[in-house]
Amino acid sequence: MTEKMKLKEGLSYEVVVRDKRGKILEKIAASSQSYVSVWNQCLYVLNRHTSYTITDTGGTGRSVSYSSSVLRANAGVGEIDHGIRVGKGTTPITINDYALEAPCGEGTGVDQFLHQAMAASSPAVVVSDCSFWVRRVMVNNSGSTISGIREIGCYVMTKYSPRYCALGYRDVLPGSVSVPDGGSVTVTYTLKVTV
Amino acid sequence: MKRQLWYKAIVRDRNGKVLSRENRRSRSILGNWYRILYAHMAFTSTSLIHTSGVDRGAIYFGDNWKFKADANEDSIGIVIGTGIAAVSIDDYKLDSQILQGTSSGQMRHLVSTPGWPSVAGSNCDFLTSRTFLNNSGGSITVRESGIYCRVKGPTYYGYACIVRDVLATPQAVPDGGSITIDYTLRITA
Repeated sequence: MTEKMKLKEGLSYEVVVRDKRGKILEKIAASSQSYVSVWNQCLYVLNRHTSYTITDTGGTGRSVSYSSSVLRANAGVGEIDHGIRVGKGTTPITINDYALEAPCGEGTGVDQFLHQAMAASSPAVVVSDCSFWVRRVMVNNSGSTISGIREIGCYVMTKYSPRYCALGYRDVLPGSVSVPDGGSVTVTYTLKVTV
Repeated sequence: MKRQLWYKAIVRDRNGKVLSRENRRSRSILGNWYRILYAHMAFTSTSLIHTSGVDRGAIYFGDNWKFKADANEDSIGIVIGTGIAAVSIDDYKLDSQILQGTSSGQMRHLVSTPGWPSVAGSNCDFLTSRTFLNNSGGSITVRESGIYCRVKGPTYYGYACIVRDVLATPQAVPDGGSITIDYTLRITA
């Protein structure tokens, strides 16, 4: 089979840092390092219509059954148990990662961001590609620069009630990102398949 | 990041002797896979053409993506066909599906059950497999395979084609023989 005939399935990200006036200070775009095992486990639960023990973002195994909430990432304002997150961890990704290594919390304290609601585009087909993106803006109102942002990722819901969430994919950035006070960081993940 | 889908086709005669096999990376996860994924991640609905050929859409729902199939079900699970049309991103069904049965051109569909996800090294795999028996009285040549899953639109239940491959080598299944199709979804960190 030739290379042209192979399936191309891609996950990529873009990180944009802005100051308080909206001026772009930094932009990083790259292919994502990895989905982690939770992603396949969630698909398995849905594909087989069954239950499975999936490690949540706290490191605890939770019994998860097929439901409409599996893989849900549409977090609202201030919700950080699911949706895109950023953190300061630098440890390389492994297949069994279950959380960001050192995620930044929600709030206006030191190293905290105000997490805005997740946004998503509808799937679009262009020639032989089908893609959509998910995006989140995180605002720094901590009173000082938050530096050392090195990891990003997306938490997905596995169960609505009681609420369990797990890590779907995680990336370690090639270099640290700093977000000035009053500024923001916007992370966009694009999920694409090409035939 | 590597996320791959592999398929394997094995043809056996009536005595279980392997006649041929093909093992390749899948040509394609289709756009419908991503439409369902979007409906779940964004917790919303989107346009999606069901295998019926009608746009019934997809909305977040627990039955979405189910492709575990019982015996004799040809509307869900791994499916096979005789079509050779090139794969396109918006395919919504096989080109020419081989239906359940024992009449001419038909094959008996056995159960199709995804296996447990397993981690080995930096890979996480899970496999789903289905065997089709040819009791039609004549040889049948399989040229395409795919996966149909359950999907719910805002109003209607239905089925969606989420994977389709045209086999590199047509696989002739003799009367009394079988073909087994395996799909393995792999993530590598």
